[in-house]
Amino acid sequence: MAKFNFKMPEFKKPELKKPLLPKDKDYKKLAHDFWYGKPHGERRLGDLYCDKTGLYKHREWRGVKDTFYYFHMVWLYGYANMVMDINKYGGLPTFLKGVWRYRWLGQTYLTVMHWYDRGFEGLRGEALRACPWHYRGMTNATIYQFMQMLRNDLKTNPDSSKVKARHDKTMAHDETVWGGIFYPFSKELENVPLQMIPYFVTCHVNNHTVLNYIDAIQSIGLPGDPCPMCQAEAGIFVQDDVPDYYKAVITSNEACDGSVATSVIQDWLIDKPLFAMPQPMLFDDPLVQKHCQKEIEDAWKFIEEQTGVPFDWDQLVKKLESQNELQRFEWEKWDVAGKTSYYPINGVSQALYRIYQSQYGDLPIWHFVDKKVSKILNRCVENKINSYPLTRHRVIAWSCAPLYYSNWCTWAYNCWGLNCIINMDSLMFDMTIRTDSYEHTLEDMATYHEWAPMRRMAVGGMHHIFELWENMERFNCDMVMMYDQLQCKGMQGVHGLFEDEFRKRNIHAIWMPHALPDKRTVSRAEIRRIINDYMTTVMHEEPLDPSLLDFDDSMGW
Amino acid sequence: MRDLKHLIYFENLLQEANNDLVKQAKSEGKLALGYTCYFMPEVLLDLPGCFSVRLRAPRCTSPDMATYYMSGRTCHYGRSLMERALEGGFNFLDAQLATETCTVTCRFQEHLRQKHLDSVDDMQIIQNDHFQCEFTDVPFKKNENSIQHYQEQLQAHVLDFLHNNYGVDTSDDAILKSIEAHNEVCRLINEIGDYRKLDNPTITGYEFAVITLVSMACPKYLIIDKLRETAEELKTREPDSKPQYRCKVVLTGSENDDPDFTKLIESCGALVVCDRYCYGAAEARIPIEIREGESPLRAIARHYLLTSQCTRFMEQAEMRSRKQRIADLAKEYHADGIIVASNKFCEYWSYERVIDTIVLHRDFGYPVCSIEKEYINSASGQLRTRFQAFVESVEIKKLQEGK
Amino acid sequence: MCKCRKSKKSCKCGCKVLKILGKIFAILAAIYAVLFAVFFFDLDGKVIYHVVEPFLCKHYDKMERRNPLDVPYDTTTGVR
Repeated sequence: MAKFNFKMPEFKKPELKKPLLPKDKDYKKLAHDFWYGKPHGERRLGDLYCDKTGLYKHREWRGVKDTFYYFHMVWLYGYANMVMDINKYGGLPTFLKGVWRYRWLGQTYLTVMHWYDRGFEGLRGEALRACPWHYRGMTNATIYQFMQMLRNDLKTNPDSSKVKARHDKTMAHDETVWGGIFYPFSKELENVPLQMIPYFVTCHVNNHTVLNYIDAIQSIGLPGDPCPMCQAEAGIFVQDDVPDYYKAVITSNEACDGSVATSVIQDWLIDKPLFAMPQPMLFDDPLVQKHCQKEIEDAWKFIEEQTGVPFDWDQLVKKLESQNELQRFEWEKWDVAGKTSYYPINGVSQALYRIYQSQYGDLPIWHFVDKKVSKILNRCVENKINSYPLTRHRVIAWSCAPLYYSNWCTWAYNCWGLNCIINMDSLMFDMTIRTDSYEHTLEDMATYHEWAPMRRMAVGGMHHIFELWENMERFNCDMVMMYDQLQCKGMQGVHGLFEDEFRKRNIHAIWMPHALPDKRTVSRAEIRRIINDYMTTVMHEEPLDPSLLDFDDSMGW
Repeated sequence: MRDLKHLIYFENLLQEANNDLVKQAKSEGKLALGYTCYFMPEVLLDLPGCFSVRLRAPRCTSPDMATYYMSGRTCHYGRSLMERALEGGFNFLDAQLATETCTVTCRFQEHLRQKHLDSVDDMQIIQNDHFQCEFTDVPFKKNENSIQHYQEQLQAHVLDFLHNNYGVDTSDDAILKSIEAHNEVCRLINEIGDYRKLDNPTITGYEFAVITLVSMACPKYLIIDKLRETAEELKTREPDSKPQYRCKVVLTGSENDDPDFTKLIESCGALVVCDRYCYGAAEARIPIEIREGESPLRAIARHYLLTSQCTRFMEQAEMRSRKQRIADLAKEYHADGIIVASNKFCEYWSYERVIDTIVLHRDFGYPVCSIEKEYINSASGQLRTRFQAFVESVEIKKLQEGK
Repeated sequence: MCKCRKSKKSCKCGCKVLKILGKIFAILAAIYAVLFAVFFFDLDGKVIYHVVEPFLCKHYDKMERRNPLDVPYDTTTGVR
C-alpha cells in the first residue's frame, strides 16, 4: 500500500493579544458621526475631491438622515423631475435633438446635479431642505425655457408647419430685458430670453461651455477686454448655436455699454425684426420717466405688430399681482436674513434664485418653491434654528459675481465660516408694481426696468453704488466681499474710491478679482488663495476645514 | 505745399487745455464750460457770456494717479482726463456739463462732481469755488420720443442749470445768436474741409484735424478770425505737384483728439480725407437748421440726435445705417480705404469695429485697416508698421484695378 | 396563516403572491442599492465627465457651422 503523503497546512495561531477591533478607536464617536454626520471642523470636505476634475470620490456623508434626504429629495427627486419636466414641455425626442445640435445643452445641462452638489457642500438640516428648492425652481425654469426654444426651433424642424406657427407666436429678447414686458401677451404668446439658457445659466452649471463662445467672438476680431458676458452673448450667435424659435427680438441697454454694443453683432447674425427698448441712465431724474414709459408702450406695439397678439390688460394685472407675491416673500426672507441668525438659505441659492426669478418673470414654479421655503423659514424662526452655527463673519457681496464660481460662498463658509448673507444683485427689482390703474402700472413698470440687476447700483450716479454701507447695516454684515470684475468698466471706474472708503471706515473688504464667466483669467483656485491670504494675514484666523484651503479643481465644472 | 500761416499757432493752442485763448476769455469774465461728448451740444455751451471747452489731456501718456482711482483696465482717454484734472489742469473750468453716455467718461465726471453724500467723500478735484458738474440723460434712439426727452433734458440740465447757477441768458434769442455763431464756424470748417474732396487735396488730414480741434478746444469768438484767414489762404493754396501720399483714407472710430495720430497715418503714405470719429468734423460741423415752427432748443435737440453717428444708438435701422454712412463718406471724399480705430477698452467701438471691418470690406469693397490704439500714439512703431502695410495693400489693389 | 398551511396541504395561492412580491421587492431593493451606489460614488458625474461630455464635445467641434462672415447685412432698410 502506497504511503499517503499528506501534510497538514500550517495554520497561524491567531494572536489573541491583539484585539480584532482596535481599542483606541472611539466607536461611540464613529457611530455618532455615522448617524449624525461629522461636525463641521472634522469633515475634511477637500479630501472628497478627485484631483483636477472637482468630481467626488464619494458624495458627502451627512449622517443617515441628511444623506438619505439628499439622496431621495435632491438627487432622485431632481433627476426624476427633470425627466418629467422634459416630457411635459416637449418630450424626450425634442430634447435629444437639441442635445445633439446645441453645445450649451449637451455640454452643460447633463451635468446639472453636480451644480447642486457644489452649491450644497456641507449643508445640513433645514439649510439642506431649503436651498435645494431654490435650485429646483431654477432647474424647472431652465428646462421650461430650453424646451420652448427646441419645440419652436426651425433649425431642427425646418419643415414643420406646427413648429412654424408656434415660432411665429414667440418673441425673443435680451436676457436683461425683464420678462414682465410680455405679461400682457402671455396668454397666447411665448417669450424666451436669447442668452439666459445658452449663456448665463451654463456658466454656473458647467463653466467650460461659455469659453467656446468667448473664443468664437474673438476669432472674428473682437478684442479680449470687453465684458466677457457681452462677448459670450455675441459668441453664441457667431457659433450659430441659438435655436431659431422666435419671430422678432427685443433688446435693451441693460446693464451697460457692452450690452448695447453687443447688439450690433447680434442684430447682424440674427437678421430679424428688432426693437430696442433702452432705459434711461439717470433713472432718479423724474424727467426721464415718461420717456421710459413710452418706450415700454412702443415695445408693446412692436409685439402686437409682429405677432398679431393683442395687449390684454387683465392678463397683465394678473401676472403682476402674482409677481408681487414673489417680491413680498423675498422681503420676508431679507427680514429674516438681516435681523436674525435663522436664515437657512445659503449665499449661492439666495443670489442665483433671486436674479433668475426676478429677471425672468413670473412662473408657477416660483410660487411652488416659495411655499416650500416659506414653511422651512417659519420653522427656523419659530424654533430658532441656526443653520450656519459656525458663522464667524456675516458677509455682504457687492458688485457683479463670478459666474463660474457662484458657489464660492459655500466653500467660504465651510472653510472659513464666512456666511454670505446677501449680495448686491439680490437687491435689484426691489419693489412691487401697482395695478390699480394703467398709469400707475406703467409708471411702476418703468421704474422696475430701471432697477434691473447691476444698473440699479452701477449707473445713474455714484450714490447708488455706495449704498453698500446702508445695506451692510440693514443686513448686519461685518465684512464685504468686493467682487472685482476686471472687465467691467463701470466698476473699475470706482475702484479707487471704494479703496479709500474701506480704509476710512475700517471695513474688512476682500477684493475678489474675476472675469465674470471666463475662468481662465482668474481661476477658482486663485480666488480661494486670495480669500485664504486675507483670512490668515489680516484676520489672523485658522480655517475651520484646512482640507479646503488648497485643492486643484482647474478642470472642474 | 506752402505752410498754413496759423498752423503753428493752432498747434501751440492745443498743447494745453488752459491755453492762451481760454485764459483770455476767462479774463474777460466769460464762463468756461467743459464737456467731453458730442451729445452735449457745444452750441448751448457757447451762449453769450460762456465758451465751450471740449476736454482733452494733451501729452498725457502715464495717468498714474487716475489709474489708482479708475484702474488700468479703463479707457485711457477717460483716465487721462482724470489725471489732468488731478494735476490741476482743469481748474479753470466754471462748470462741467456731463453726459452719462459712455461709462468711463461718465465715471471721470462723477469724480469731478460735488455729490455731498455721506456714503462717499467728494474729491474736490477742481479747485474752483464756482465749479459744478451737471449730468444730462441722453437717449439711445432717434425717434420722436427720444428727441422730446432729449429736449427736456437739455432744458433742465443745461439751460436751467446755467441760468439758475450762473445767470446765463438762455432765452430763445440768446440761443439763436449762439446757433448763428456756431453755424458760421461750421461753414468755415466745411469750406476748409471741402478741399479734402479734391482729386489732389490742398490740405492734409493733420492740418484739418488741428483746425477742427482748435474750434472745439478754444473760445470760438477768439479763434474765428484766424479760421477765416485760413479759409481765405486755402483758396489760393496750390497742391504739391507730386502728391506726397499714396492713397486716401477715411479715418473712423472712437474718441480721438490727438492730431499726431493723423500725422502718424499720413507719415506712412495715407492721406486722411475725412474724420468720422468723436472730435471729428464729419458730424460736429454740420450746420444747425431750424425748421418751420421749431423752437431753437428743439432744433438743437433734433440736430444733435439725428446727426450723431454714435455707436450707442440701438435702433436696428440706425445700427445698420452707420456702416452705410461710412461708405458714403468714403465715396464722397474719394477715399481708397478706411481706417477703423478704436481706443483700447472702448466697449462700444470694440464691437462696432468688428462689424465695420467685415462689412465695409465685404459689402462695399473698401480695404479696411482695423486697429486698436491708445490715447496718445505718436510713438507707436506697431501702428506705423500696420499703416505702412495697409497703404501698400491699397496701392496693390489700385494697381490691380488699373487706377 | 393560509388555509392550505392549516390543512398541511401544499400552499399554492398566497405563497406564490408572496414569492412574487418578494422578488419584486428584491429587484427594487437591488435597483435602490444600485442607485444609491451611483449617487454615493458620484458615478453619474464620473460617467458624464469622462465619457459623455468628451463624446459630445468631439461631435460639437466637428459640426459644420455657418460661417458668420457670410451672413448678409442689409444697411439700407429699417426694421426688417
